[in-house]
Amino acid sequence: MSGAWLPYLLVIPILAFEGVFVLYPIVKGILTSFKSQELGQSGSYTFSNYSRMFADPVFWQVVRVTLTFTALVVVLMLIAGLFIAMLLNWSFRGRGFVRGILSIPWALPDIPVVLTFLLMADPNFGILNRMASWLGFGHHNAFFTSPHLAFASIIVLTVWKGFPFYALITLSALQAVPDELLEAARVDGAGAIRRFRSVVLPSITPTLCLLAVLAFIFSLQQFSLIYLTTGGGPGNDTTTFSIDIYNQAFQFFNYSYASAIAVVGLFLSVIGTALFVYIERRVVRSRS
Amino acid sequence: MAVLTKPAAAAPAAVPRPRRSRRRMAGSAVRVVVIVAVCVVALFPVYWMILSTFQPESKTLSFPPPLFLHGFNTGAISQLFGDQPIASWLGHSVFVAVITVAITLVLASFGAYLLGRLEWHGKLVFGLLLLFTQMMPGAMIIVPELQFYRSMGWTNNLPMLAVLYAAFNVPLGSWILKSSFDNVPDSVLDAGLVDGCTRLGVLRRLLLPLSRAGLVAVAVVAFFGSWNDYLFASALITNRSQYTAGLGIATFISQQDVPIFELQAAGVVFSLLPVIFYMAVQRYVVRGLTAGAVKG
Repeated sequence: MSGAWLPYLLVIPILAFEGVFVLYPIVKGILTSFKSQELGQSGSYTFSNYSRMFADPVFWQVVRVTLTFTALVVVLMLIAGLFIAMLLNWSFRGRGFVRGILSIPWALPDIPVVLTFLLMADPNFGILNRMASWLGFGHHNAFFTSPHLAFASIIVLTVWKGFPFYALITLSALQAVPDELLEAARVDGAGAIRRFRSVVLPSITPTLCLLAVLAFIFSLQQFSLIYLTTGGGPGNDTTTFSIDIYNQAFQFFNYSYASAIAVVGLFLSVIGTALFVYIERRVVRSRS
Repeated sequence: MAVLTKPAAAAPAAVPRPRRSRRRMAGSAVRVVVIVAVCVVALFPVYWMILSTFQPESKTLSFPPPLFLHGFNTGAISQLFGDQPIASWLGHSVFVAVITVAITLVLASFGAYLLGRLEWHGKLVFGLLLLFTQMMPGAMIIVPELQFYRSMGWTNNLPMLAVLYAAFNVPLGSWILKSSFDNVPDSVLDAGLVDGCTRLGVLRRLLLPLSRAGLVAVAVVAFFGSWNDYLFASALITNRSQYTAGLGIATFISQQDVPIFELQAAGVVFSLLPVIFYMAVQRYVVRGLTAGAVKG
C-alpha cells in the first residue's frame, strides 16, 4: 500500500494556499465587521455596523438591486444560451465558424467591452442613439446615466458579454440528447414542441441547473462591467453588493462598514448556491 | 403539425415526400436568416470597436456616426503607443497571466486528483471547501485582502497579484479538471498501477497527458481571470509604472484627456491576445469545459 499518504501530502499546498489567500481574509473580514473603529485602532467588538446597516434604506435598496439583477441575468442568460444553442444544434456548413465568432464576446476582456458600449451609448454621438431615433425614441438618451435605462443597460451588457459560455455548454448538452429517443418520439407522432418538452428539456435539465448556479455566482461577482459603466448610479439604481462594498471602502473609507455589507453578501451567496445545489439534486433524483 | 405528417406515415415515400422536404427547406432558410441576424446583432459591438479604432478622427465624433469605414487610419494605434506606457503595461499583464496559469495548473491538477480519483478521508470536506472558495465574490474580501497585503508589504507587487488570481482560479480549475480525469477509463489507470506506476506517476504519466482538453480549459479560464481583472489590480497596484494593461486602460475612462479613438485602440490592442488565444484552442476549451457539465 505504498502512497496511502499521498492525498494528505497533495492537499497541504492547496490548503495552505487557499487558507492564506482566501480563507484567512474572509475570517479577518468577518472580525473587522464587528469593529466600530476604523483601521489601526483596536476597538472592542460591537454590532454597531450591523444595526446601522439594517436601519439604512440604502442597504435594502442594494439588496433589492442585487436580487433583481442576479435573477434577471440568470433567466436571460439561460434563455439566450438555449436559444442560440438550439439555432446551432443543426449541421450546416460553417457551423464551426459561426460558433467561433459567436464566442468572441465571451473571449473579449471586460474593459474594451465597457469602452465600446460607453462609446456606442454616448448621448451626443453614439450609434445606439441613432438606432433609437430610427425606432422613434428620440436621441440624446444617456443609457448608462438615466434612471430609466441604466439598470436595463447593465443587464443587456452583462448578458451580451456572457451568453456564449452558456450557449456553448447548452449546445453540448443538446448534442448529447440521444437521437434514437428523438426518432422514437417522432415516430410516435410527437410534434416539435412536444419533442422539445418531453425529450429534449428533461435530458438537458441537469446542465441548465448547473448553468443557473454558475450564472448566479458570476452575476453576484460581477464588478467591472457595472462599476466602469454606471459606478452604481444614478442614485443607487445599479448598486449591487460588490459595487456598494467597493464604494464604501474606497470612496468613503468605511472599511468596517464595508466588511459588514460583505458578510451579508457572503451569506447571500452561500444561501443561494446551497439552494441551487439542493434543487439540482432534487431534479436529478426525480429523473432517475 | 402532427396531423399534417400523419398521411405521410400512412402512404410512405409516395406523394408527401417533396412537400415535406420543401417545408424543411423553408425551415432551413428561416434558420439561416435567424442565425445571420443573431450574428449581426451579437457582433455589432465588436465591429464598432474595430471601426472606431480605424475611423478617421473627424468621422467618429459626428452625429449620426457613419456605419462604415471612411478611410483607414492607423494613427490611433501609433499615438497610443507613443503617448502611453501601454507596451510595458501589456508586458505586466502577460507576466502576471503566465504566473497565474502556471500556479493554477499545478495546484488544480492536485485538486482534481484529490476530488476524484484518490480515495482519502476528508474528500467531502475538501470538496465543500473548494466550492465555498469558488463562489466567494472578489468584492466580499477585497477589504481584508488589501489590509493583509499591506501588512505583508505585497502591494505594488505583480507576482503576488498573480498568486492571488491563482488562489481564485484553483477551485474552479480543480472542478473542471476533475471531470476530465473522470473520463479517463479505469482500465488505463489500473494497467498503470500494475505496471508499477506510483500514484503520483499515474497523475503525471497517465491522467495529465490524457486530459489535454481539461488542462487547456483550465489554462484559458485562469488566463481570462487574470487578464480581465480590474477589482484586485485597482486596489493592490497603486503605482502607475506597475499597472497591468487592464488597470491602465480603465484609468483612461475617468481621465478626460485621453481621446476616444486612442481609448478604442487601447481596447483593440488589449483584446488581441485573449481572442487569438481563445480561437486557437477553442476546440479543447469546449470539450474541457463540458466534460463534466454534460452527462445526460
